[in-house]
Amino acid sequence: MSYKIPMGPYHPALEEPYKLDMICEGETVIDAKLHIGFNFRGIEHLAETRNHIQVIALMERVCGICSFIHTLTLCQSMEGLAGITPPPRALYIRTIMAELERLHSHVLWAGIAAKLMGFKTMFMTCFEIREKIMDILAAISGNRVNYSMNRIGGVNRDITDPQAILKMVEALELEMARTVIPIFTTSRTATSRCAGIGVLTTERAASCGVVGPVARASGLPQDLRRAAPYAAYAEMEFDVPVQPAGDVTARLLVRALEIMESCKILRQALAKLPPGEFHTEGEKFAFITGTSTSRVEAPRGEVMYSVSWKEGSRNPARVHVRTPTYAVMPAIKWMVKGARLADTPLIQASIDPCYSCTDR
Amino acid sequence: MTPLESISEKLGATEPWVEKGGVHWLAVGTVNVRKLAQIMNEFHARFITITAYQLPKEEGFRLEYHWDLNGQLLGFSFPLAGNSIESIFDLCEAANWIEREIHEEYSLDFQGREYEPLLLRQGDTSGVNLRDVVAVSEEKK
Repeated sequence: MSYKIPMGPYHPALEEPYKLDMICEGETVIDAKLHIGFNFRGIEHLAETRNHIQVIALMERVCGICSFIHTLTLCQSMEGLAGITPPPRALYIRTIMAELERLHSHVLWAGIAAKLMGFKTMFMTCFEIREKIMDILAAISGNRVNYSMNRIGGVNRDITDPQAILKMVEALELEMARTVIPIFTTSRTATSRCAGIGVLTTERAASCGVVGPVARASGLPQDLRRAAPYAAYAEMEFDVPVQPAGDVTARLLVRALEIMESCKILRQALAKLPPGEFHTEGEKFAFITGTSTSRVEAPRGEVMYSVSWKEGSRNPARVHVRTPTYAVMPAIKWMVKGARLADTPLIQASIDPCYSCTDR
Repeated sequence: MTPLESISEKLGATEPWVEKGGVHWLAVGTVNVRKLAQIMNEFHARFITITAYQLPKEEGFRLEYHWDLNGQLLGFSFPLAGNSIESIFDLCEAANWIEREIHEEYSLDFQGREYEPLLLRQGDTSGVNLRDVVAVSEEKK
């Protein structure tokens, strides 16, 4: 006999509201349906009522974790419409901020995953490390969540002492290499809870169009920083970690390796930070009629913004956002099929879902 | 022949690809969206999204379909004569949620598919053009 187990919209295993209705036979999940929309704010429609400055502040609030990425993608689109190219220093600062955001997002995820594994000490360790990353973000931007860094034509704040930031990054890298990564990759608590569960095959990952670490953990080597470089990524040397297994362990390993790659990028960007302006100074601009599309590799995968403008208009005509979790979340249905009910909180968390992004 | 040229040939496009606003655009003429989805599958292109545009006055809607091919962003535009277009959900699993979202937010119909209960705004009425609702509420302010 089959029966339905609802998880959510409010559940101890979920950081934000969404609902997973699972059809079970005994302890085994045989089918699942997802329901989203609990955070729907109509942000895309609201964007059409904001001017080119207000819309940046609005879109920064799509997501509390990758707020920088959202404004970066939006500003890149608007720069395309205004024909503006930010100065090299701004592109490097954007790269540094984007990688710091990836670090804090991955470490936050590691903490939540540790909590769901029943590994509370690791949860506390991850959050302690995340605080240090937040300190660096605050040192650069003056803010911890919504950084207000991006503007059309560059960034709002400079990095005045890259060597001090570099020292903080090196200390962070050492701590992660010494604690987080070895424990996650070798401890029996982590491996026994993650190996072989929530498998998403390469074929299914491709047909679902998944992105980011989930795609790379299913053997798809896609990363926009490499395939379609933006900001200063074309000048950075880094690897794109790929794991073929498609299970929770693979997702954990991909993110762990990406933490080290982010540190590698940060060291290069801070060492090579070019001199000069960090935004276009006093340059008048006007938006042309048309649509400009920009994509960025956020911590959870590809974010895409399409921004349309009519020449002379105060507000955008349309702002469409495709967030990474929107592409990845439908695949949860395939990951939980055949899984034990007790593993489903960890499986759904393994995609690092962001419901605020998804619902907009 | 490059993959883009091959796609163009398969679609029987008469115009060349145009790179504009960060996207490689191809005018597909009378080719329908299902044929396009089949060809994108043949080339292992990754579906990204559909963007709906409400045109001014009573001109209807335009849908822009996006795929990624080896890091290149491809775009195809489909003006809608009525308020419907064929669904590609059965050919492209990744299009499921965005078709449902556009159906719910713009009241457009994707023919040939069933709609599960509302994706966004659960419990609310389906078929409301939310863009108009937001515009009215902003005017009241």
